[in-house]
Amino acid sequence: MSTLPSPKPAERGANVAVRSPPPFGAWGRDRALQAASLLVGLILWEAIASQLSTFVLPPPSNVLAKFFDLAFTAQLLAALGNALQHMALGFGLALLVAIPLGILMGRIPWLNAMLDPVVTALYAIPTIAFVPFFIIWFGLFFPSRVALVFAMAVIDMLIVVIAGARDLRPEMLSAGRSFGATRLQLATKVMFPAMMPFLLTACRIGLARAINGMITAELFFAAVNLGALMKMSSRTFDSAGLLTVIVLIALVGLLGQYLIGLLESRLLHWKLRK
Amino acid sequence: MTLQRGTTRVLNIVGILLFLCAWELGGRWLGADKLAPPSLVVPAFIDLLRQGEMLKELATSVRQMLAGFGLACAVGMPLGIAMGRVRAVDLAATPWVSMFVVTSVASLVPLFILLFGTGFAFRVAVVFIASVWYIVLTTYNGARTIDPGLVAVARSFGASPLQMSAKVVLPALYPYLFAGARIGLIHAIRAMVLAEMFVILGFGGLVHQTGLQADTAPLISLLIALMILSVGATWLLRVFGEYVSPGYEQRLKGS
Repeated sequence: MSTLPSPKPAERGANVAVRSPPPFGAWGRDRALQAASLLVGLILWEAIASQLSTFVLPPPSNVLAKFFDLAFTAQLLAALGNALQHMALGFGLALLVAIPLGILMGRIPWLNAMLDPVVTALYAIPTIAFVPFFIIWFGLFFPSRVALVFAMAVIDMLIVVIAGARDLRPEMLSAGRSFGATRLQLATKVMFPAMMPFLLTACRIGLARAINGMITAELFFAAVNLGALMKMSSRTFDSAGLLTVIVLIALVGLLGQYLIGLLESRLLHWKLRK
Repeated sequence: MTLQRGTTRVLNIVGILLFLCAWELGGRWLGADKLAPPSLVVPAFIDLLRQGEMLKELATSVRQMLAGFGLACAVGMPLGIAMGRVRAVDLAATPWVSMFVVTSVASLVPLFILLFGTGFAFRVAVVFIASVWYIVLTTYNGARTIDPGLVAVARSFGASPLQMSAKVVLPALYPYLFAGARIGLIHAIRAMVLAEMFVILGFGGLVHQTGLQADTAPLISLLIALMILSVGATWLLRVFGEYVSPGYEQRLKGS
């Protein structure tokens, strides 16, 4: 008895706590429940909205109709196309800064000790409060939008990359070293793959922040693209139009998370997943 | 590989001093209309403290923020626990939570103005919607990973559902509840400033107004006040968490 290795919590749990093994078709039943939840929510929303003025809370059917209103959709997609430009540029710049700087800070203790208070202080200030500065430095248009997206994404990503670089298991590095890996090989063949889960998490968080920054910038600097559509909709009390833009941005966010999920399953196939 | 505690402290201070020097030089070179150097920001900060408007606005804003944040905790924590412990709730809520968590708060602000106006309800709603999903997700992660062995032992000793919640589930969740509250609070402060800057009221409104002046020293002072607020609030939560559940941070696994 005592020579047996003690089971991990999950294995122990499998013996005592789970009532029965999932029956055949559990996957289908789960998806059905999720779909039912969405459906019930939408019906509830439709019911509540029909009691209120559509100026206040539009029913989902109005929002859906907006998506099929070709003139509006064409405008919407054109605006999204433009908005994605400053999002992509800001996010790309944030990646270029956060990944190398994060790795350096995570691997060089004295550098981390020197920069950590500054990073903490900057992280504590809501990025949106820098908007007046961006206006002073970069004006009201494209450069300011890129700067805001960059600023919103970069520090959140930096913190994850630092954690990833610092938590590398030393055994892995020493194993690489004893097999005679050069510094370059150590960096590209051991450290980089070991950090990949963290880098992808950083991308996931950064992308969500960048999409958030994309619309924030269009609302807080000169209103353009999606921001202009929202301002116009709110001036005419067209809350269905507002909600359509919100849903579109949320869909873009979901798509981004999905794409990074694909990247994860492609790059991290070696890592055991639940 | 690791530094000694004293060395780290010294390097922290060196880093801060170097940053201040770079800022001072940069500020002198660019001029106070672009970037006020620390030597001008410090007097401006003291000045704003004396005038009192900054602190008054900040206190009002924080009170409204706390209302939204408290509501988010009151809703988010039970929901997160229910999602983590009951599979049907998990399945029913997950699509909604994952949809709301990717919805950018800024995009909701114009809609919320139509729904709630620009007063107290509007700001509470923005703060609530910005922080609640992070609290839900952190609590959910904690509730899902409670050691099933613990639950099984309690059950075989005949714990009632109430005892199970109060004596087993809740103490095991403390670390996650505090972590969730901390993450939620950061988002709540961000949302507070966002909402107020949008409608140009309260502390965020003050930031906006001050940004229009030719001198950036007061603007930087306001940013520093926000920084102190955020660091201070996070620190308070950490102290409180340490008091209720000692060593809770060590027990957080990978979140």
